Amino acid sequence: MASSVSSQHDQVLVEVKSFARVLTLNRPKQLNALSLHMISRLLELFLAYEEDPNVKLVILKGKGRAFCTGGDVAAVVHDLRTGGWRAGANHFMKGYTLNYLMATYSKPQVSLLNGIVMGGGNGASMHGRFRVATENSLFAMPETAVGLFPDVGASYFLSRLPGFFGEYVGLTGARLDGAEMLACGLATHFVPSAKLPMLEAALCAIDSGDPEIISSIIGRYSEQPSLKEQSVYNRLDVIDRCFSQKTVEEILSALEREVVDRRDRWISATIQTLKRASPTSLKISLRSIRVGRFQGVGPCLVREYRMVCHVLRGEFSNDFLEGYRAILLDKDKNPKWEPSKLELVTDTKVDRYFSKVNNEDGEDLKLPVRSKFKLPSYVVAKL
Amino acid sequence: MDRAFQRTQILTDHLLQFSPPSPLSSNACLSYSPPELSESYAFDVKEMRKLIDGHNVEERDWLFGLMRQSKLFNPEEKGGKVFVLPDYNQSTEQQREMTWKRIEYLLERGAFKGWLTEEGEEIEMRKFAGFEVSSIYDHSLFTKLGVHFFLWGGAIKFLGTKHHHEKWLRGTENYSIKGCFAMTELGHGSNVRGVETVTTYDSNTGEFVINTPCETAQKYWIGGAANHATHTVVFSQLHINGTNQGVHAFIVQIRDADGNICPNVRIADCGHKIGLNGVDNGRIWFDNVRVPRENLLNSVADVSLDGKYLSSIENPDQRFAAFMAPLTVGRVNIACASVYQSKVALAISVRYALTRRAFSLKPNEPEVLLLDYPSHQRRLIPLIAKTYAMSFAANYLKMLYVKRTPQSNKIIHIVSSSFKATFTWTNMQILQECREACGGQGLKTENRVGHLKGEYDVQSTFEGDNNILMQQVSKALFAEYMAAQKRNKAFKGLGLEHMNKPCPIIPSQLTSSTLRSSQFLMDALCLRERDLLNRFVVDVSKCKSEGESTQQAFLMCYQLAEDLGRAFSDRAIFQTFIEAEATLPADSLKDILGTLRSLYALICLEDASYVQYGYLSVENGASVRREITKICSELRPHALALVTSFGIPDAFLSPIAFNWIEANSWSSV
Repeated sequence: MASSVSSQHDQVLVEVKSFARVLTLNRPKQLNALSLHMISRLLELFLAYEEDPNVKLVILKGKGRAFCTGGDVAAVVHDLRTGGWRAGANHFMKGYTLNYLMATYSKPQVSLLNGIVMGGGNGASMHGRFRVATENSLFAMPETAVGLFPDVGASYFLSRLPGFFGEYVGLTGARLDGAEMLACGLATHFVPSAKLPMLEAALCAIDSGDPEIISSIIGRYSEQPSLKEQSVYNRLDVIDRCFSQKTVEEILSALEREVVDRRDRWISATIQTLKRASPTSLKISLRSIRVGRFQGVGPCLVREYRMVCHVLRGEFSNDFLEGYRAILLDKDKNPKWEPSKLELVTDTKVDRYFSKVNNEDGEDLKLPVRSKFKLPSYVVAKL
Repeated sequence: MDRAFQRTQILTDHLLQFSPPSPLSSNACLSYSPPELSESYAFDVKEMRKLIDGHNVEERDWLFGLMRQSKLFNPEEKGGKVFVLPDYNQSTEQQREMTWKRIEYLLERGAFKGWLTEEGEEIEMRKFAGFEVSSIYDHSLFTKLGVHFFLWGGAIKFLGTKHHHEKWLRGTENYSIKGCFAMTELGHGSNVRGVETVTTYDSNTGEFVINTPCETAQKYWIGGAANHATHTVVFSQLHINGTNQGVHAFIVQIRDADGNICPNVRIADCGHKIGLNGVDNGRIWFDNVRVPRENLLNSVADVSLDGKYLSSIENPDQRFAAFMAPLTVGRVNIACASVYQSKVALAISVRYALTRRAFSLKPNEPEVLLLDYPSHQRRLIPLIAKTYAMSFAANYLKMLYVKRTPQSNKIIHIVSSSFKATFTWTNMQILQECREACGGQGLKTENRVGHLKGEYDVQSTFEGDNNILMQQVSKALFAEYMAAQKRNKAFKGLGLEHMNKPCPIIPSQLTSSTLRSSQFLMDALCLRERDLLNRFVVDVSKCKSEGESTQQAFLMCYQLAEDLGRAFSDRAIFQTFIEAEATLPADSLKDILGTLRSLYALICLEDASYVQYGYLSVENGASVRREITKICSELRPHALALVTSFGIPDAFLSPIAFNWIEANSWSSV
């Protein structure tokens, strides 16, 4: 990572606007993928703002056509190869710590999701109090296609979507537009991108951190978008019936049962997507979302960290490296998953991903203690 | 002066509530702090949950998830968290329809797959787990499923033969048939042998004719009968050629596929109840209803085409006992589910006691947390220990049942009767204490604890009245004693082997370490059981020698019978605790369980019988009491971890278990 200190510093732009701080993710060529430096910088800024009585509100946005496309996988793989799994895990540890800080933040965070928001980008926005979608928003958690699993606290926020929509989004990596994000609750508001500058100016002018007031200001610029006729959100009945099943195998056969008597392109495509994804990823992802449904955001992140350590250590499968090769490096889009079939990923194999890492240097994620702040009630409810 | 200032500050905050104080400024108003922030876990709560749930943890969570994610389960947001709970403010009819819709939803998602069509220990344990989870959501849901699968389905399975199984089980599992179980009558409940419904056989047509000859013969409390059931199994006297062959079971269709009541069947509602209003309990009259000969569930007895009575079991008593088989599994199921209600109530009231304060000890000091009062600890913590003990006993009972053999039937009957009575009584006691421990909040239906009392009260009557079951336990112990004496053989089974050993002696001085040794505690529980059994035998024999019949002698010795039943139960439960503890490696989990185990037994030793019959001196009694207080304060730091280990998801607890200030704020009105 040979970039100079000054250019590193430019990766997160900071604007001070009376009681608001506007942070802009500024790596547009990489679609604002989060470098380790950016994560550290955001952590540093968020921690400082929490103590600073002159900050009442944090606005987060991205430069260019993406809000943020996630973690810097290339850098993780590089560190993994040169410094061992621990070096790779360091990215995730920092990232998850930031996710936790945002989830339990005592001041409102407004994320302006005017573009692509994927993987780690969701970790940097979904945990905050306000998520503003636009007609340019494009959401996805595509991890199962690259041998990972929806992390960055996704087992918390996906599992809390209506019905079994979270399982659907997490397993298939389905892409959602702004209207869908609002409908399912991933976004709290929908504001047309043309109005974003006005919204931002209005938010920068307020002197209060009261979520009610902020919500009503965003509300002034908000619109109620209509779902496209083809929207997956209109298929919630099928999603609930199929993605509520106990196992990935049963989800697949439930989907297949749906198309026995009638053709349905969307269901067939969904089946194909699941069949292309890493079997190990699918199984650990389903378990993670299911377990996450009954855990607070902290325990979700601690569990996800255990899981990601196992993934990086490659003890049971190397699907992460294979996924990186096939999707991001060689781009042949033909990963050779191992184990190659769902039935080969037994429950005991899945169990191992959730166990404590048995290694002297393996330890659980230590989350910052948040009790010293008087947390707002919407945060308390997440614990 | 400071105090006055504090009051003024509070009043000012109240008056100026339109400009809320910034989150970081100090505030004299009370605020909610989640117990997780102040309490820590000294042991692995997930491991503990696995241990006390005992089986199918993932299956349980999957079912919890199915309910949590569906609108049918009435999710409501309170204080930033979502809770699922039936709307008990709906009309009886609405509640019944909702119960049915929930069953349909779970059915569609495969929650009952294999419940009747698969065999073996694995599926039976899965079924028990499913029932326990459903009971945590709503007792009506549990009961309606229980009637359909365990009573109706169980009757077909245990009392029917191959062609019944082939004809009815699959349809029952997928609910194309909705079954109910017509045993109880207005005039006869626990005394099933006294039912007045009469069935005769018409050899001209090859049909049975089922009749309700009088009003007291009307079938009563038949769950599912009032609205939904299409079929029922009727328990009736069978008269063949003028001879009463005793109680037999018949399949009768009571509604057609469109839900119309069949000819010669009359059905009425049982009306609104103190709980379980999501179950459509009904009353049924049969006006010479004709059913084909094959509808007799004929595993123990049959009637030939030309009207001859044939039975593989000669003894009518044994024949009758065979007909009660579906009730045994029901009893196991009820006993196990009741423990989970105690878990719900304790999790809620302990979490509340860790966040609600009352009274300051000194001026200007913050008020004291409810659970920091020794008296509050003394109220709730022993109940936690009891609930752990019952959990292990429930797991033992389930294993005993699924590993059943023809030889173990008697033991299962005795243990399930004793545990069902003990668990359900204890559950009601726990619910009441927890309700009071939550104060006024315990009275709100949304907070569950108080409402559960009405819902679960019926468990002491279901599948056998508790008092009668306990009498049966004492009678069975009496029979064991007589058999051992007659054959001059050692006691074997039911955990009575201790009777073969010399009588344990209670030390005159009870030190703390003695009071916590499992050997001493077991000795103390065995001593009482042994002595009460001896006394019971002596008293019954004395009555008999004075000319009373055996039955009359039992009736007259009812007080000893009750004490003995409890002594057996307490000792048997304790034994399962010791066994569970023994399977663990030495670690923090084992340590905490050891403490809970001691507390459980010491609570049993506090029972009046220990001083009444002189097993403990007055001084010893005082030592027991002192030790209980000590253990309660030792367990106080673990209270949150202990109830978290119950594994009840947040959504199945209630608003007072979490941010009850936010849940009750003006903005949430």
